[in-house]
Amino acid sequence: MLSHTRSQQDREHGDKIFWRLAATLGVIVTTYFALVPYFGLNIAFHFYMMMWITMATAFNISSGFSGYMPFGYVAFYGIGAFTTAILVKKLGWSVIAAVPMAGVAGVILSLLFAPTLRLSGIYFAIVSLALAAICRLIITNLPEEWTGGSFGLQLGSRAEPLNAFFLMMGVMLLAIASVLWMSRSRLGKALKAVRDDPEAASMMGVNIGWIRLKGWMLAAFFPALCGGVEAWYTNVVDTETAFNTLVTTKTVIYAVAGGLGTVTGPIVGAIAMSWIDELVWRRFPLVNLLILGVAVMALVLFLPRGIVGSVLRARPRWRRFIP
Amino acid sequence: MTALMINGLVNGIIVGGLYALLGLSLSLLYGVLRVVNFAHGELVIAGSYVAYVLFSTFGLSPLAALPLAAISFFIVGWGAYFVLIPRLSKSDDPETASFLLMYGFSIAMAAVLLLIFEADSRSIDYSFDPISIPIGPVNVSTARLVALAVTAVVSAVMAWFLFRTLPGKALRAATMNREAIQIVGVNIERLSAFAFALTFGIAGVTGVLIALVFPAFGPFSGAEYSIIGFIVIVLGGLGNPMGALIAGIFYGIAEQMATVFLAQALAQIVGFGMLVVTILVRPTGLFGFRVLR
Repeated sequence: MLSHTRSQQDREHGDKIFWRLAATLGVIVTTYFALVPYFGLNIAFHFYMMMWITMATAFNISSGFSGYMPFGYVAFYGIGAFTTAILVKKLGWSVIAAVPMAGVAGVILSLLFAPTLRLSGIYFAIVSLALAAICRLIITNLPEEWTGGSFGLQLGSRAEPLNAFFLMMGVMLLAIASVLWMSRSRLGKALKAVRDDPEAASMMGVNIGWIRLKGWMLAAFFPALCGGVEAWYTNVVDTETAFNTLVTTKTVIYAVAGGLGTVTGPIVGAIAMSWIDELVWRRFPLVNLLILGVAVMALVLFLPRGIVGSVLRARPRWRRFIP
Repeated sequence: MTALMINGLVNGIIVGGLYALLGLSLSLLYGVLRVVNFAHGELVIAGSYVAYVLFSTFGLSPLAALPLAAISFFIVGWGAYFVLIPRLSKSDDPETASFLLMYGFSIAMAAVLLLIFEADSRSIDYSFDPISIPIGPVNVSTARLVALAVTAVVSAVMAWFLFRTLPGKALRAATMNREAIQIVGVNIERLSAFAFALTFGIAGVTGVLIALVFPAFGPFSGAEYSIIGFIVIVLGGLGNPMGALIAGIFYGIAEQMATVFLAQALAQIVGFGMLVVTILVRPTGLFGFRVLR
């Protein structure tokens, strides 16, 4: 009895530290990004850093929590970008109304892809890759008056980079908050249980299919929003950039660099790799791609659990506190 | 049957032969090592560049480039194995880690090709004499027929090797049960390195043939061939080399016939659609048995 209450106290203590750390993290991230425009820092660089944080965080829901590696992740991003562009340009919606619809489009696409969730491991990755290619081909072949053909769609005079910046910040905070909540909620625990042992989870009364679908929809929602906001920021959408496989590549690298399965991992990874990418790009624009490739290989070989994952492995007790 | 359809069929068999080689090596590698080689397409394109360099600087015919590409790639593959693969087994999920690793490898390779050869697409304007040979109502270029002949020889040799020789049987046994084969006294490390190097060698050959069959190639054409290779191994059943051979030819014919009847872009969708339908209806592949883990 005594030990029971003690472990409970212990857990409450751990929870308290966890939420304090999470709140501190949130305040630091919010303040930093909110102040960027006022201190005249590089808005484009920070916009994309926030976007990669969001993408990596959402990718983590699928790959870290549910154990699915969607190598066609760019499909959701692209569909979000095109939904926003078409709603704004062709139907005259306001951007603020169109971006949430991009998220809805992402979720609808994830429902269409849902049958692939019964695959696992490498099968899932390959099919996801093929599905992204199909999406790209279909959009490329839609009539030009809808998608603008190879010229793409211009959002015209609606560019408001600063507003797009703050909208991106909102999306990022929403994504981080969702994953933070998820990591402690029944959904997050159920996802991890289903990932590690579906049969056992099912025995314990977890509805496997439904839980996987929930995680999958959540993972598809945010990249679609990112695509929409980025369309607003750059003011132009075309199939080349909206379905560029480099979007998937970077998302995967940044998430893996930080460490899958932790909330802070993808955030740390995206911030660190954005900086490295920026510095390398500035100094050696030609070998940027080469360094990107070598970085992935080095990560897999020498740091397979990512930055945060490696720290947690060295200090397993911190697992209780670090989000 | 119209000439157009015969043309589609002939081209389908030729192109399908190349797809079969892509699938054969990917399948072998997955079977023995549980590694999905995302970089296979880039390796293949590197083979095309080898043929290109040998032809444009030394005037060597692509046929002479075949053994050179095969042997040099084999040696590189043997070395690459020991750098890349042994560390993977320490990972929590080696299969996904291998996918990521080779993903990085493919980006790096494409970047290296880009640095050396720049972004322009290249082609080899080597022509055989006569340039084309009539088959029924259609003319087929000699280069393509030569490629088909080489493909047939390589496939036959591979089939003989896998089913009639001891190392080949060891490879198939390793696919079926990696633990048991070590009890019988096979050095699994050497066998794995051999399998890895072998797929590199086949990639080199495939690359030279692709330079003969397709009009042009560039540093970033690799991804396309990797994806086709994935489709083929999934259709044929992962880790089933003979299934991959048949599936490759089947896919090539389907793709080329689709270009006869549909617009180019839609024909591509047909290929991807086949993959998705197959995997949902018959996840073990068209001729599949699922490989034991």
